[in-house]
Amino acid sequence: MGIVVEKRLTPSTSWQVASIILALLASGLVSALLLKSAGADLGTAFGALWDGAFGGWRASWKTLVKATPLILTGVAVAVAFRARIWNIGAEGQLFMGAIMSYWVYTLVGTLPPIILIPILFIAGFVGGGLYGGLAGWLKARFQVSEILTTVMLNYVATYFLSFLLIGPWRNPDSFFQQSPPIDRAARLPNLIGGTKLHLGFLVAILAVAVIYVLISRTSLGYEIRAMGMNAKAARFKGINVERTAVIVMLISGGVAGLAGVTEVFGVQGKLKPDISVGFGFTGIIIAVLALLNPIAIIFVAILFGGFVNGGIKLQVATGVPSTLTDAIQAIILLFFLTAAVLARYKFRLGTKDE
Amino acid sequence: MQPLLKVENVTKRFHQVVANDSVSFEVMPGEIHCLLGENGAGKSTIAECIYGFYKPDKGSISVNGEVLDLDSPAEAIRHGIGMVHQHFVLVTSMTVLENIVIGTDAATAILNLQSATDRIKAICARYEVEIDLNSKVWQLTVGQQQWVEILKALFLGARLLIMDEPTAVLTPQESRRLFKIFREMTGDGMSIILISHKLDEVMQSDRVTVLRKGKRVGTVVTRDSSKSELTNLMVGRDVNLNLVRERSDVGLPMLVVSGLHAANDFGTDKLNGVDLTLNRGEIVGIAGVAGNGQKELFETLMGVRRATSGRVMLADQDITNKTPREVQQAGIGHVPDDRFAEGLIPDFDIQSNLVLGVHRDQPFARRGFLKFGQIRSFAKQAMDEFAIQAPSAQTICRTLSGGNAQKVIVAREFAQASRVILANQPSRGLDVGVIEYMHKRLFEKRKEGFAILIASEELDELLALSDRILVLFKGQIVGEFSHGAVDLERVGLLMAGHFDDAPNPNADRSL
Amino acid sequence: MNELFTETILIAVLAATVRIATPLIFAALGELITERAGILNLGVEGTMLMAAFAGFAGSFATGSTWAGLLAAMLAGAMMAFLMVFMAATLKVEQVVTGLALNLLAAGMSLYLFKVYFETQSMPMTEVMPFMPIPYLADIPWLGPIMFQQKGLTYLAFLMVPAVWFFLYRTKWGLEIRVLGENPKVIDTKGMSVTLRQYGAVIMGGVLVGLGGAFVTIGSVVRFVPDITAGRGWLALVIVIAGNWRPSGILLAALVFAFLDALQLQIQGVGVDLPYQIFLALPYVMAVVLMVLKSRGGRSEQPGRLGIPYFRGER
Repeated sequence: MGIVVEKRLTPSTSWQVASIILALLASGLVSALLLKSAGADLGTAFGALWDGAFGGWRASWKTLVKATPLILTGVAVAVAFRARIWNIGAEGQLFMGAIMSYWVYTLVGTLPPIILIPILFIAGFVGGGLYGGLAGWLKARFQVSEILTTVMLNYVATYFLSFLLIGPWRNPDSFFQQSPPIDRAARLPNLIGGTKLHLGFLVAILAVAVIYVLISRTSLGYEIRAMGMNAKAARFKGINVERTAVIVMLISGGVAGLAGVTEVFGVQGKLKPDISVGFGFTGIIIAVLALLNPIAIIFVAILFGGFVNGGIKLQVATGVPSTLTDAIQAIILLFFLTAAVLARYKFRLGTKDE
Repeated sequence: MQPLLKVENVTKRFHQVVANDSVSFEVMPGEIHCLLGENGAGKSTIAECIYGFYKPDKGSISVNGEVLDLDSPAEAIRHGIGMVHQHFVLVTSMTVLENIVIGTDAATAILNLQSATDRIKAICARYEVEIDLNSKVWQLTVGQQQWVEILKALFLGARLLIMDEPTAVLTPQESRRLFKIFREMTGDGMSIILISHKLDEVMQSDRVTVLRKGKRVGTVVTRDSSKSELTNLMVGRDVNLNLVRERSDVGLPMLVVSGLHAANDFGTDKLNGVDLTLNRGEIVGIAGVAGNGQKELFETLMGVRRATSGRVMLADQDITNKTPREVQQAGIGHVPDDRFAEGLIPDFDIQSNLVLGVHRDQPFARRGFLKFGQIRSFAKQAMDEFAIQAPSAQTICRTLSGGNAQKVIVAREFAQASRVILANQPSRGLDVGVIEYMHKRLFEKRKEGFAILIASEELDELLALSDRILVLFKGQIVGEFSHGAVDLERVGLLMAGHFDDAPNPNADRSL
Repeated sequence: MNELFTETILIAVLAATVRIATPLIFAALGELITERAGILNLGVEGTMLMAAFAGFAGSFATGSTWAGLLAAMLAGAMMAFLMVFMAATLKVEQVVTGLALNLLAAGMSLYLFKVYFETQSMPMTEVMPFMPIPYLADIPWLGPIMFQQKGLTYLAFLMVPAVWFFLYRTKWGLEIRVLGENPKVIDTKGMSVTLRQYGAVIMGGVLVGLGGAFVTIGSVVRFVPDITAGRGWLALVIVIAGNWRPSGILLAALVFAFLDALQLQIQGVGVDLPYQIFLALPYVMAVVLMVLKSRGGRSEQPGRLGIPYFRGER
């Protein structure tokens, strides 16, 4: 008698879910070590982390605000990864969405909000989408790895924004790189009085719903999944893999672009270089942890939104730098990848000869 | 005499499938010992266990009385066991020499391969093999590549050579030559384990161990046995692979290919002007050694590969270089040779795989949305019709056996095609029951007036199925035989590229 | 504009090219060995960043740049170990693993820096000195360009033929190249695939680590967040543009370095163009280079790059 390990043909879903929990626990341990090494009191530290994230309704609303762009980038990454297209460029696409929507705002910013705000979201989608689509086109047309092009385009987008903010869109009254403030009327309205939770959260949930239906219910979604699982067979059976790649990158980039709109018009009220602090990259972690499932992304994104706010509170309470949470997020991902390997195996008591 | 190799009660399991169930046999020095069995009987698995590639769950394997600690091929190699896998394990972008010496003591820290050359040349001379050690493996014919594999084993000092289906890629003449060399090897005191399901070559061995469904059903001395006895042991019942061929009315030309040229992924020309015509109600077989353009021909016809010149006409419609979707909509179905890599989305369920290709079309989709009700009911019907054994239509295809996976593909292609069916190696790796079934379905389609093109490495299968047999060599059709007028000897010569009517006197010595 | 083309300036630009190429060459050669073994390590950027930080921290703690160098190599090896453990032992998706390593490095280096160094005012280390080579340094043109550099720079250029010799003239190199094309060949000859993958990836990590070290202790006295600024990603592009050959990699690295040196010079002269254009130039060039590469010639990309090896079973 002993524990028998057998390989599974298809991974166990319950194990994959359990992997997330295991990863969170293990990462908690590592965080404790890191906090200890920084000389923080563990009780205070974890308390502050929790308080900042979900302690009370105020903190919770704030967490939802932080989760909004993460939901969008998470879903953006998930759509692409479903097709096995490695879009690492959600960050740059977010910036291009922000730039495009701000540009449209400078043109038609005086329209009544009920018309203007939908237009801003469309502009954000188009901006991010075209930028993602560029990487998709380079992949389809020249077989250039989208991993590297999207990374390169991230850098280009950052510098482009920086150029705009010291050049044409510079706020002459400010020492910082930022645009003049956006009119109150053009900002995203709050959903609930007394909170900062803005319309963008609803848009993010709507995007999740649309992407969920797209992937699981439509012919295009079928093609995206087919291509991600076996591009060769998909091609043999008449799926235009190149065209689908471009479409996927248009959609993925577009959804990431929406996050640019929520941050500029919902949170910051102006265009500035730090409208995203790595949301595009955190989106990758979120998408992978959520097993590329759009619905699950909402919950994981809220958890990660909590990390961000918790991290800020942590720094205030203990002096430990809030960047700790960035490191912890990556550690969660690594632990998750490790634990998820177990989902490929089956364990039972007994001997192999039964 | 002490046996060279002793296999005792070896059991090997994959997932829930028992590939080998307490298998035992012995190989004597100087013996050609054949492992005979259907596909899936566990022949290759037991061979991989002997070679140390798989670890048996139970049982022992000993050489010269010494039990092997089987964890890696290193142990087997140390005990003089060599293996030539059915799918060659070579680095095609490297030279013959590099492939042979890697991992041997001839590969010194700072490579000086010339010292190994003499040793390899001596082995080649012994068996009268000519091979350029400095050419890249991809430049060689399949027969030569097989020799690289054999040289790899001999160079490591193999005394027991395991050959897994060695003749699958050879012409009949090349096969005969190989067996002559096997005899020279056994004359030198080597032993050979030959894995095969072809009775003709099995009869040239000394003893035969027959496997069925992972179990050993018997070991017989070959000369005291007969083909029919072996067949009975192997299948457990009488088989009639030669179905009654009903006459079929061959109709007008359906698919006409003229002067078709195409290259492989590396830019090497693989089709050099293929001309062929498929008529309605006709099965045409393509004979040829693997790598002579079969794959490229099917891919080019399906629109997956670009034709660099030439024309493909489907009835009156020019379908040259149309997209795969257009070709399929024109009524052509395709059964590719690599089921799980090209025919299926293994991680999709059965019902999704069954609508692959029509997932945008009525009745399975409307206005861009999938109609799951329609998909499910179609899947149920197809699974009944083709006797696909699976728990449900939502079963993931990765978990299916090769036979059931192939049935999913065939069910899909038969449903989608309306005029032509192209099938590359449709029965590769399937057991006799499934093959019989596939042949029956193909004859039905022929009766319905379909034009059918089949490529197979099994000449027997082509003989049974085809109204005409075409021989493909280096991307050209070099011979045509109608059913009943097939001269197998000539087919073999043509497959090897000898076009003279008189048999080439040097044919036996050239690879 | 004329002063741009004086001899002094040209020599300065070319000498800067050689200096700037140093970390790119190290990182790209490290990734070359890794990819030749069939493993796609997208964590080059993170590995470099961790090594850059370790080099800085080690040097700061001991006061010796040699100790810093050692720490950087160790950090490179540790990041590579993580990568190969996930890729070869656990057989996790290599793309995701590589990205995770980058995120880990970005977070960890910043966190550790803030915890241990930001409290002190302006932590600084020593920088490796220039080491003019006697006699050679006096050759006109060539001397100031090539032979008045730092030790690590000489090492980087020497590594190009060394890595070539290792990959193409030693048995370990042969085995590593086989891993990238068909690991089953190694397995069926009774050799451990995993062991060789560990060897190759960790060796690659040490080289990447040297590249990281040059970014901090080889060049500047301070550590700042994200100090590698995409050099690791450029190294991945350089491997592709160099067609997986040491000589091609040298050439591609020099092209990028030259562009960078040129933009520094132009900025210094004060041309009236937004500086962001120059900063974005290498990344735009990277995309252009990859497109050009896809148009011509046979790719030497290892056939099994990024695909985990399983023995037999489906």
